[in-house]
Amino acid sequence: MSELSEYAFVATVAALSTAILLYLVNALGARSLRAFSLADGGSLATRSANGAYTTAGRYGTILAVNAFAFLTASLVFRTIASGHGPFANMYEFSLAFAWGALALYLYFELRYRLRILGLLVLPIALGLLVYATTVPSDITPLVPALQNDLLLTVHVAVAIIAYGAFTLAFGAAVLYLIQRRDSVRWLPRSTVLDEMGYKAVMVGFPMMALVVILGALWADIAWGTYWSWDPKETASLVTWLIYGGYLHARVLRGWRGQRSAMLLILGFAATLFTYFGNLFFGGLHSYG
Amino acid sequence: METQGVRAVDGAEALAAPPSASRARPSGHLWELDVLGRVWRFFTSVRMALVLILILTAAVLAGTLLDQAPPSVIADPASYEQWLERARARYGFWTDILNFLQLFNIFHTLWFKLIIGLLTTNIIICSINRWKGIKTTVFGARVRMSETFFQHARYNASLAAAMPMTTAAERVRRALALSHYRVRTETDGSSVAIYADRNRFSRFGTFLSHLSIVLILAGTVVGGVLGFKDPEFIVAEGATREVGMGTDLSVKLEHFTDEYWLEGPPKDFRSELVIYENGQEVKRGMIRVNSPMSYKGVRFHQAFFGQTAVMNVTDTSDALIFDEAVPLAWQTREGSRPVGSFDLSGQNRTVYVIGPTSGENDPLIPAGEMRVEVYRRDTGSLVAAENVSQGTPKAIGDLNVDFVRESRFTGLQVVKDPGVNIIWVASALMVLGLAMLFYFPHRRMWALCKALPDGKAEVRLGMTAQRDVSLTDEFKRLRERVGLALGIRPDGGRTAGGGDDV
Repeated sequence: MSELSEYAFVATVAALSTAILLYLVNALGARSLRAFSLADGGSLATRSANGAYTTAGRYGTILAVNAFAFLTASLVFRTIASGHGPFANMYEFSLAFAWGALALYLYFELRYRLRILGLLVLPIALGLLVYATTVPSDITPLVPALQNDLLLTVHVAVAIIAYGAFTLAFGAAVLYLIQRRDSVRWLPRSTVLDEMGYKAVMVGFPMMALVVILGALWADIAWGTYWSWDPKETASLVTWLIYGGYLHARVLRGWRGQRSAMLLILGFAATLFTYFGNLFFGGLHSYG
Repeated sequence: METQGVRAVDGAEALAAPPSASRARPSGHLWELDVLGRVWRFFTSVRMALVLILILTAAVLAGTLLDQAPPSVIADPASYEQWLERARARYGFWTDILNFLQLFNIFHTLWFKLIIGLLTTNIIICSINRWKGIKTTVFGARVRMSETFFQHARYNASLAAAMPMTTAAERVRRALALSHYRVRTETDGSSVAIYADRNRFSRFGTFLSHLSIVLILAGTVVGGVLGFKDPEFIVAEGATREVGMGTDLSVKLEHFTDEYWLEGPPKDFRSELVIYENGQEVKRGMIRVNSPMSYKGVRFHQAFFGQTAVMNVTDTSDALIFDEAVPLAWQTREGSRPVGSFDLSGQNRTVYVIGPTSGENDPLIPAGEMRVEVYRRDTGSLVAAENVSQGTPKAIGDLNVDFVRESRFTGLQVVKDPGVNIIWVASALMVLGLAMLFYFPHRRMWALCKALPDGKAEVRLGMTAQRDVSLTDEFKRLRERVGLALGIRPDGGRTAGGGDDV
């Protein structure tokens, strides 16, 4: 089973790398198409920027979906092989994080018909998979603190969705900063990017609250303390607060555009800090 | 206050009014008084909340990057001094500055609590500030909107219905109701105004989630005042220890077990405990890391474990003056050897028992031996020190010391926290509130059916953009449904406007 998991992992990397190339071709293709349509009166401008027409984009999506399926298979095989959810060390976390980013991205692509975010999110997912190859991939048995199947699964699964959503928001924010004057032909309008970031946070923010709460619940059961200012729990709280600040600034004070994009980038930095923090600072979460 | 940001308005009423009106401050209230007003506005400023969050972020970053002194060290000035000396080796010149800024104990400092307090105040005041607007939106929304509203609404459409006004209005009403909207109508001679919304109570999610933060902080206060926590409650195998802290409980450790996976990492730590209340056994059971035991609100969690040395001490007259397991729960500063101690008050002695360094050959203390150091209890001066082999009593000073055998101790975290239930209720409210707000957002649609001179009707639809910026899909769906109800095909081309932004 663990061999099957590795094959599926390799297939994921291959499919994802190819998908990234196709997304790139798609974006550049959309650029020429848009130039053409501008000459034609500009009617196709927005839709072509979505890249909905190019064949490369279509195949890119198919490959991204495949990569997602392979990654799912890899995680499932690993779960069967190890007997617990694939959340017990850095290798498994990395695959799961990549899975979350892909899942959220594909959901958004299918729902909003917007392929451009893939240009950033897919490479981030690939980066996580490449990072996974640098850490030990042995199946490690669960130490006593992690021996709580229900909470291990739910706490980390929810975290993965939240992280995935924040990755998406980050991608939208970076593209927004590139496109803030609406001067880049192959990107959608800046307002669209701005809004995508917001929608991603709408998905991720309640999830992140749940992550922190489930973590506190688990800490209370395992250690008798729901909060101990452990680096990872503190970082997750701060991440949540940053996105909370973003939502308030936006909803109550109408922050749009550059300022809120900067907050999203800060939020993603905090997300990465939360994710990798235990590697640097030890603390109660040092399992990986 | 923001100058360039447009304030979002909770009642769409304001959208129909000129933009300047929506920025006017409420008048005739308490906060017109300048001082109060300033304080109030200070606390309602989102910028302030953001600044507080950023300071908190910086503090937390510092708290994770810098070594933090454990609470037990902080509580004791002498050991804090020692701790600082060790920190000096790492931070050198900066140590005093960092210490002055209380950066070695960030999470328990007054200024950290002050920031959290300010953030809480900010949350409460902002919530109060928004109560009225949200209440109006949920319970008192306007049904009839002006022509200008329909012209300027972000999502708007105009449909021509080949039927009388009242029939058209009834069909619009039914179409919206079938889309799970709650519909209100107002009729006058020449038009029917329609207001439809769904998930309106979602707006109260704001209060649930903000209130929950305040409740969580209240829960921590209740826990702090009414509860207690002993993070280093050590019981040796076979020994019984009083919990204290105002309880009548004591705990006996029957047996401690640690198991390991073949690969090396720990598999299971478990303690068989008996709990006594006023000397009577009241509960008995096994605790593990993920399954604590609780009795009358006092919980016993498996936290750590270690080695003990069962020691026998007789005095010069051969009378047994000590026969207990000594938990070697601390470590010597040099050599990191496990160490424990006990007092012999009658003899004015303190005895330290030091075990060999685990996992390697200890040049000073061979396996199977304990180093026993006897000090005067009043002055702390060394009387004598010897290595003692297991089962071979040895005279050390005026004491005869025997290292009988090794055994285990368990380290429990003993907690009583009545505030924790408040925290879980608050957490549930938080998740509920956020899910309402973000997964079931409030949607509102206005419609106006006007009678035309030829006996037909014109139906105008309008939806405003609020929190959720893009209602494109939702508006399109509703427009199609209403159109179908009025006998217009989806591609009928009779529609205008609409914010096509994705």
